[in-house]
Amino acid sequence: MKANIEGAPAFAYIHVDLEPGESLVAESDAMSSMAADLDMDARTNGGCLGALGKSLFGGESFFISVFTNNTDGPRRVTLTQGTPGNIRQVELNGESICLQPGAYIASTPELRLGVQWAGFASWIAKEGLFKLRVSGTGTLWYGAYGGLVEKEVDGEYIVDTSHLVAYDPQLRLRVQLAGGIFSSFFGGEGLVTRVEGKGRIVLQSRSMEGLAGWLRPHL
Amino acid sequence: MEVELVHRPGNSAARLRLAPSETVTAEAGAMICMDGDIAITTSTHQRGGGGILKGLKRMLGGESFFMNHYQAGASGGEVVVAADLPGDMETIRIEPGHGLIVQAGSFVAAESGVDMDMSWQGFGKALFSGEAMFWLRMSGSGKVVLSSFGAIYPIRVDGEYIVDTGHIVAFEETIDFMIGKAGRSWIKSFLGGEGMVCRFKGQGTVWSQSHNPSSFGKQLGPLLPAR
Repeated sequence: MKANIEGAPAFAYIHVDLEPGESLVAESDAMSSMAADLDMDARTNGGCLGALGKSLFGGESFFISVFTNNTDGPRRVTLTQGTPGNIRQVELNGESICLQPGAYIASTPELRLGVQWAGFASWIAKEGLFKLRVSGTGTLWYGAYGGLVEKEVDGEYIVDTSHLVAYDPQLRLRVQLAGGIFSSFFGGEGLVTRVEGKGRIVLQSRSMEGLAGWLRPHL
Repeated sequence: MEVELVHRPGNSAARLRLAPSETVTAEAGAMICMDGDIAITTSTHQRGGGGILKGLKRMLGGESFFMNHYQAGASGGEVVVAADLPGDMETIRIEPGHGLIVQAGSFVAAESGVDMDMSWQGFGKALFSGEAMFWLRMSGSGKVVLSSFGAIYPIRVDGEYIVDTGHIVAFEETIDFMIGKAGRSWIKSFLGGEGMVCRFKGQGTVWSQSHNPSSFGKQLGPLLPAR
C-alpha cells in the first residue's frame, strides 16, 4: 500500500494505491474517487452494538466503507474529509490513540476501532459522551478543520474546547472555566479543557464553531 | 494569455497576463485587481456571438447572467481573478475539436478563442450528479481557467473510473459518465454513505475536486441559526 497526502495543509486529501489483495477501511462518504474495479463494501462499524455506540456517541458513522483490491494490479482510491484542513498519517505499533468525533478518516484493516466513555465533562464541552479509540498495529489517517499542531504534555496543559483532535489515551481531560467568571464569559474563551498527565495531544488551528460564530452576523 | 496560478491550493488566484489589445472573458465578480489601462465591457454574451438567450442559459447553469471582457492596452496588461470559495484553480487548454464539459460554477475565465454554451447532460445527471442542472460546454481553442472547492487533481480515465457526486470540476468530451452505484449492490452503496456515484467511461481526463461543498455545508449548517 502506498499513501500520499496532497493539498496540505489547506485542503489535504489522500491518494491510496492498494496492491492486489489489500483492503482499506474508511469513514463512510470519505471516498472522492476510485478505480471502478475496486470492490466497495459497507460494514457496520465494529459490530451492531459497537456501531450504534460510535454513531450515536462517537460522532462517527454507523457504517464504514471497506475498499478491497481484487484485481491483479495496483488500484487507486482517493479519500477526503468534509472540512478543509490538514490530514495526518500515523503508524501504530500496538499502542492506542483517542480521536475526537469526526476526526477519523481511514485505517488499515488490522486496526481496531472502539468507543470509550469520555465523561459528562466532554459532553458539556460539546466533544461527545464517547471518544473513538483506535488501537493495534497498522496505519491510521485522521484530519481536522485547519492545520494540525502537536504538543507534548507533561503535567498540566490548557486547550480551548473544540480545538482538540487527538490525544494519547493515558491523558486525563477535564473541562473547566477558562479563568474567573468574568474572563471566561467576556474574554471569549468560555470553557477550556485541562489536559493532565504525560503524553501527546494534537490540536486543530481552526474550529467549526468559530467559523459559524463569525458567519452568523453576516447571514 | 499567460496564466500564473498563485497560492494553490488553499486560496488560489490567477494572474492573467495579456498581450497588447488581447481580450479575456471572465465570470462577473471574479476580478480582484488589474492594470489601469485595461478596458472592461460587460455583455450577456461572449464576444462575437450569442445574445440574451445565451445569458439566460448561463444563469440556468449557475453562472452569472453577465460576463466581463477585459481588453489590454497597447502595451499589454494584467488582470488578477479568483473565485468566491477557498480552493484551487487550474488552467486547461482546449484544442479545436476537443470540447470540455465544465461543472457550472467552476468557470472563472477564458481566452477569446474559447466558445461557451450550455450543455444539457440529461435528467439522470441533472438530478443525481450533485452538480447544477446544466453544464458548460467549452469548445474552440484557447486556455480556460477553472476553480474548485478544495484541491484539483486530474484523473486519466482509460476504461472506467468512479468519481463521487459533487466532486466533478470538468471532463473531456471523449469520456462520459453515468450515474451508478459505488458498491456491488445499491443497498451497500447507500449504507456505505456513498450512495450514487458518477461512473466515467472512455479515454480522457476528468478533473476532480478533493472536497465536497455540500459535505462541508452539512457540517457547518447545524451550527448556524435556522432561517
